[in-house]
Amino acid sequence: MNIVVCVKNVPEVAEEELEINDEGADVEREELGFAINEWDNYAVEEAVRIKEALGGKVTVVTIGNDDDEDVLRRSLAMGADEAILVDGEDLAGVDASAVSLILSRVLKPLEFDLALCGAQAADDGFGQVGVALAERLNLPYASLVTAARVGAGKITVDRELESGMYETVELGLPALLTIQSGINEPRYVSIMGIRKARNAEIKNLSLDDLDLSEDDVRGTANWFESVEMSLPPEGEGAEILSGSLDEICARAAAIIKEKGGLG
Amino acid sequence: MTRVQFWNIESGWLFYLLATVALAVFAVGALHRISTWRKDGKTSTLLGGGGLWTFFRDGLLGKRIFRNDPKAGIVHQSIQWGFLALFLGTILLAIDHYFAAFLQGGPYSVFSFALEIAGLLVAFGVVWALIRRLFLRVPRLENRFSDLLPLVWLLLIVITGFFVEAARLAANPQNERIVSFAGSLLALAFPSPEASRSLHAGLWWLHAVLSLGFIAYLPFGKVFHALAAPASMYLEGQALARVIVGAEFASGEFSLRTGVGMDACARCGRCVEQCPAHLAGEAFNPRDAVRQGGRYARLKNSPLFKLPFIKSRAERELAKIKASAEQSVWNCATCGACVEQCPNYVSPLDYLRELRGTVIEDGRNVPALVTGALEGLYKRHNPWEAPKSKRGKWAKGLEVKDIPKDGQAELLYFVGCTTSFDTRAQEMARSLVAIMNHLGEDIGILGAKEPCCGDVARALGEQGLFQELRSDTLNILELYGVTRLFTTSPHCFHTMRNLYPWKDDGDGKHAPVQHYSQLLCDRIQRGALSFSRPLDRVVTYHDPCYLGRHNNVFEEPRLVLQSIPGVKLVEMKNHHRNSLCCGGGGGRMWQEIEGQRKISEMRIEQAVETGAQLLVIACPYCLIMLEDARKTAGVEDVLEVKDLSELAAEAI
Repeated sequence: MNIVVCVKNVPEVAEEELEINDEGADVEREELGFAINEWDNYAVEEAVRIKEALGGKVTVVTIGNDDDEDVLRRSLAMGADEAILVDGEDLAGVDASAVSLILSRVLKPLEFDLALCGAQAADDGFGQVGVALAERLNLPYASLVTAARVGAGKITVDRELESGMYETVELGLPALLTIQSGINEPRYVSIMGIRKARNAEIKNLSLDDLDLSEDDVRGTANWFESVEMSLPPEGEGAEILSGSLDEICARAAAIIKEKGGLG
Repeated sequence: MTRVQFWNIESGWLFYLLATVALAVFAVGALHRISTWRKDGKTSTLLGGGGLWTFFRDGLLGKRIFRNDPKAGIVHQSIQWGFLALFLGTILLAIDHYFAAFLQGGPYSVFSFALEIAGLLVAFGVVWALIRRLFLRVPRLENRFSDLLPLVWLLLIVITGFFVEAARLAANPQNERIVSFAGSLLALAFPSPEASRSLHAGLWWLHAVLSLGFIAYLPFGKVFHALAAPASMYLEGQALARVIVGAEFASGEFSLRTGVGMDACARCGRCVEQCPAHLAGEAFNPRDAVRQGGRYARLKNSPLFKLPFIKSRAERELAKIKASAEQSVWNCATCGACVEQCPNYVSPLDYLRELRGTVIEDGRNVPALVTGALEGLYKRHNPWEAPKSKRGKWAKGLEVKDIPKDGQAELLYFVGCTTSFDTRAQEMARSLVAIMNHLGEDIGILGAKEPCCGDVARALGEQGLFQELRSDTLNILELYGVTRLFTTSPHCFHTMRNLYPWKDDGDGKHAPVQHYSQLLCDRIQRGALSFSRPLDRVVTYHDPCYLGRHNNVFEEPRLVLQSIPGVKLVEMKNHHRNSLCCGGGGGRMWQEIEGQRKISEMRIEQAVETGAQLLVIACPYCLIMLEDARKTAGVEDVLEVKDLSELAAEAI
């Protein structure tokens, strides 16, 4: 089973105090730490597990600059075999359609049985790249996959629906899946493991190599442009309770009951 | 009067043949055992530190065996010295026969008498040992086949030995000797000299086969500890808890000391008796861990298990053992109680930490909580869910120099991750700042720029992450011109004092790293700090594992405590070197471990038993664990838990 996984390096925003940048259409990313997109991490883990069970090769792809190599090296440390970095230095802010175009050009010449993408990215949250990529490559696809079982020439997956329901779908291979979080328990990647991957070779591709110009990407393919981004307004509605510990607890319990929090 | 070799024995050559076979089997067995003794290049050196004295004191005198159980000491040393004497006797006889005959007349009588005593000593020790195991049922002793076999076998060797002597004496009544009193007594039971003579040959061969067989069997059972333990004692000088940088080995392998330890373990169970995880009823104990580890390492490395007819079975067992060992690897709190007790200087602590390294590198069996803590350490330089930017927030409103912003200070107060972020532990930091300001000393903190010492990463087995954190910390200390520091946490203290490569400025006396209790003690002794507000309470003090047992700092905190007027100190059942862990170390703070009870509640129970109203500690983990435990144990109204720093600040 040869598998290709598309991964993205995203900013870590939990507990951070975000600021909007000068242009007004994105957050200030300078001071933020970056890490592999959570859904993509699940996807890499899934790919490596399938490879460990059935043999084959796992290739990871990302679009970015030199700093973004980190996600590729981490994936290699997890068990991926090859890595491709597309130079995206001048491509900040392009939408899912444009990204899927670039990725389709990368994947087209590759021989693979399965392509995996994360269901969405933690920063812009479009949830579209995987599906658009499948369309461009004319691959059968399933999204929000929470379980995957490989058969002979086909793959059977569970898709997450609402209210705990799921749908089981069978697709012929090659196919593309977008992976939902929780599909597996991603392995821990140790520092020594990443150090070992430091010397692995990464294939570098430019837009030129993919027969694309910046205009193709930003112009034709890009349908969506962020006009403005703002922080949610600071609201009221926080009641600070005071009194003795017992009084506070009693009042808190009463409020919770009122709002229907206690069954 | 002398010993005639092979008296009454025909075919003496057969003995040499059997001996050769026995030695060959022994050699194969020894090779099999020491396949776990892998020289990994960095931790092992043949020379260097302390080992020789330990070898003499513990290897020959058996000092630790007498501890807490003097009868065990008598039993074991009887067997050991008796056996060694008999062994030495055999060698002397060989020298006497092949080189220079000196065992005659007077010297021979002394020799003979000494060996008589030696044989009786072994018999005495073995019989008592069997009584302890089978009738007295000493709790820490096991009665597996592998425990009883060597004892019974030795007993048979000794008994047949005396019978051979008796038969020989009975066959030569003219040689009646007082020195061989036991043999002489036994000879009374023998028939006529002629009949005794025929019996003698049979008994002699029986004794020979049993003895040679024992030698052949030796490496395959726990008696091998007799050879491995001296090596383990010798290597004690390289105890990893105290060994420095450069001792990082390629992870996935065990260090030499751990490999030796797997063979040095004699299954005495003293570690089990003291292990807090075991006492709390968890599915874990250090003896089983080491036993399993030894089996695992041998399955992995021994040439015997690579033989074609056994290979696939060995591989299957290896996979099973690996899975089982890796599951129970997280219970260890790295408290060191096992290390403290072991008469053979085995360290289950280091074995478990090294095994954790294997699990970490593989990555697939790491519990989610551990992953969370490690990822937190990597991204945010603390194992909690707290962002770096909030690290110095506890100091808001306090007057304390923020070194990155305000410039260098003479002394750095290294706060630590837990103290920085946990609301209860933050009180320790505030107290220490108040005390240092009162003393008018020039201290500073690193605030949001404070790095992590790396202790948690190391305890969890993530060597690579530990090295990164250590390197970061050293860089930051250098960047801000830090030459001396004191810590809140004994863990930071232990790690930075013992595992960081401080540049040698030639003055070995002034350790650049202190725990705050040492600093306060020093200021009190110098007369700079004194306490005026009395605290009229009965208090008890809990020795934190990383301050006390790991680093021998016992008296300084007590001195500080007892300098507060009105304080009456009583000791708990487990104190000083025998302190009972709070359960928070070894990464346990970030785990959910199932046991019959909580380790911390056991400690609270001990505190309540003393009748003290206040339990004093000197460590942020202990503070959190014991503060929680007094609530869950329902003794909130009976016992208060406070840190030494808080008491000191209140008493000024």
